[in-house]
Amino acid sequence: MLRFGRFLSGLTLATLCLPPMLGAQERTVVSKEVAVGRSEASLRLEFSSGDPLEIALRDGSVFIDGEATGAYMSGDALDTAWRALLGEAVSLDDGALSRRLEEWTPPSDLSGDRLTLATTIDHRLEDALHGPADVATPNVSVSTSGGDDAALVKALLGHAGRLATLGEALGNVGPNLKLHVNEDVDVRAGDKIDGTLVVVQGDARISGEVDGDVVVVDGTLTLEKGGTVSGDIRLAGSTLNRDGGTVQGEVVNVEGSERDVEREMRDRVRTEIRNELRNEIRDKARSGAASSFFSPLRNVFGGLGGLIQNLVSIMVLGLVGMGVVAFAPRNLEVVADTARRAPGRAAMVGVAGTFLLIPVWVLGAIALAVSIVGIPVMIAWLPIFPLAAVAAALLGYLAVARNLGEWLGDSGYRYTDWIRKSNPVYTIVGGVAGLSIFFVVANVLRMVPFFGFFRGLLVAGGVLASVAAVMIGFGAVLLTRAGRRPEYGPIDFDDAWERSVGTEPDPDTTASTHGSSSTNEPGDPNA
Amino acid sequence: MPSRVRAWTLAAATVIALPHAASAQNWRNVTMSRQISGEDHLRVQVSYGAGHFRVKPTSEAGLLYSMQLRYDEDMFEPHADYEGDRLHLGVEGIGKSIRLGNNRSSGEMDLSLTRHVPMDLDLKFGAVRADLDLGGLSLSSLELSTGASESTVDISEPNPMEMRTATFEVGAADFTARHLGNLNAKHIDVSAGVGGVTLWFNGRWQQDTSVSIDMGLGSLELRFPEGLGVSLTKDSFLTSLDSEGLVKRGDSYYSLDWERAERKITIDLDAAFGSVKVVWVR
Repeated sequence: MLRFGRFLSGLTLATLCLPPMLGAQERTVVSKEVAVGRSEASLRLEFSSGDPLEIALRDGSVFIDGEATGAYMSGDALDTAWRALLGEAVSLDDGALSRRLEEWTPPSDLSGDRLTLATTIDHRLEDALHGPADVATPNVSVSTSGGDDAALVKALLGHAGRLATLGEALGNVGPNLKLHVNEDVDVRAGDKIDGTLVVVQGDARISGEVDGDVVVVDGTLTLEKGGTVSGDIRLAGSTLNRDGGTVQGEVVNVEGSERDVEREMRDRVRTEIRNELRNEIRDKARSGAASSFFSPLRNVFGGLGGLIQNLVSIMVLGLVGMGVVAFAPRNLEVVADTARRAPGRAAMVGVAGTFLLIPVWVLGAIALAVSIVGIPVMIAWLPIFPLAAVAAALLGYLAVARNLGEWLGDSGYRYTDWIRKSNPVYTIVGGVAGLSIFFVVANVLRMVPFFGFFRGLLVAGGVLASVAAVMIGFGAVLLTRAGRRPEYGPIDFDDAWERSVGTEPDPDTTASTHGSSSTNEPGDPNA
Repeated sequence: MPSRVRAWTLAAATVIALPHAASAQNWRNVTMSRQISGEDHLRVQVSYGAGHFRVKPTSEAGLLYSMQLRYDEDMFEPHADYEGDRLHLGVEGIGKSIRLGNNRSSGEMDLSLTRHVPMDLDLKFGAVRADLDLGGLSLSSLELSTGASESTVDISEPNPMEMRTATFEVGAADFTARHLGNLNAKHIDVSAGVGGVTLWFNGRWQQDTSVSIDMGLGSLELRFPEGLGVSLTKDSFLTSLDSEGLVKRGDSYYSLDWERAERKITIDLDAAFGSVKVVWVR
């Protein structure tokens, strides 16, 4: 019975906390997944037995098999060391991978919670890589005290709910354990304990020396003056009363550390929310301040800016118009003539042409791609076709602007006297200015309060006028093949005059007129 | 004909998906691998949307597959599902909104497959540049579907297994297949939508093979090694044929040494618009 009890107590401790120290067999890694991104570095292993291990540093938290076990900062020593390990793991498989993961140790520059976390990762890796421990030959020496071993086992099993805590508290303690359950321990001055002192459900008082760690679960640890602990003090559900004494390691509150992690994460979220709110309020305050400072002048500046924009647009279009007049006056004339004589037809052709632009572009590219010879042409087709379409729309717009400019020149308005019909540059610039007048007035109204609605109407009118001009002009360009094929012949002014006043045409003049009209192109209605 | 429709559909879907490929932002690198564990046959399906796609046989004994991925984690997610005799690998979209512009480099996928396990291989990829070396893989069947891609398939070493059918479905692509003889296939089926297709019928022919080619709109180049018996039957609408080295008998064209050839391939060509060119290679 005594032997059985001793075996059970050893088995309990070995299963709980000491697998790395046991003679375990190495397991086969059948599947590996390494994922590295900006906010994540994770490792997933699958073993021959089918069970997986996943360790991930993701968005500031450390996850082991999906469970958050701690926090890290992006770029800190833990993150860097883990990413370096994964960088090596990428090129390794099976045995070499297992060996490298097993060799990994927490970086030496870690301390505090990060070190604890890294140690946990290290242990989980080793646990997983070694698999189930060979419990028949535990390589651990356990010395117990306090009654017979059966009572000890009974006491341990009676506190099964605390076994997990005990396992957590024991963590990475040394191999030589002095275990006390349900009893108090007093290490007097001059006494020395070699190994780890574990007290469960009892109090410990240390005035002497413990050459190892001290673990207290559900009790009170009193460290007297002169007492020395060469390792760590690990407390689980326990309190520490310290009256001097020396602890060469760290004092770790196991349950407290879990709460610390939660608190740390909660604090981080709270800080982030607070910072976001603060930034938002600050931005609003700044924009509000700027708004209140500039509000009286903002509309004026905006209106002036819009006017300058209108002026620049008119100038640029005027310059383009000058170029067209200089290099393609005949084409402009023919397009403008068609737009003036058949604006409705031109507009319909323009709308239809606009809708067909993209299909023609795509189908043309496909048709050219069929043959090897056509492929280079297709390469040119892809950029040239859209450019040609834009050029056609611009030519049409300028032609319509020219017509409008002529009309404005004839109108006798006081402000359009400067438009000379004899000079097409004047008529184009005048027409563009006429088409832009809606936008100009809208920008003037912008400087005046309470005219927002009218301004909107004017902008809409300007857009409509511009679209109509483009559609009519584009259609006229298509109808006349960019001004190369006149839709209408030249006007016979003499004949038109005589018909309008009701006199018979002069036979000589008529003959000469007919003679000249015979040179018109086929399909010319005047021919 | 349904396969052609499918190829067109695939091409259209790929064009729609193109902006996904052009808006990569948050890159994630993933490496996955698995050891061989007693598999005697495997059905492998690989899918990949956009980027550079490479497949090759692995040089490491004992490794079932190894895969390196680089993808935008905001828009895609990798998958490596292994269950029974099925292995499904690749990257799939996660249905987030399309971002235009900001086109940096595209994603990548490198896949190495074992030579030692017989497999049915199914490769599906969209707007990708694909370099596939299937040489030496033990393939019992092969299905390859590609959208708008620039793809090269090379069977650089003979397939140790006899294959039932090799199917290539090409959408709008520039597609080249080399060493088709090494496939060791009884039947090869090629369906192409739009683009240029070049088929190299070189390699080690271990059996007579029938080949079906269904072309939509594009150019087709057939490259034959000298000594291979070739029979070509064409059913086309507006397709030109440059039948160099072939003589017409009845409705079909035959290579000059058709009767004496040790290995023969019979090609059934159905083409709508485009050109077909025959080239003989020494």
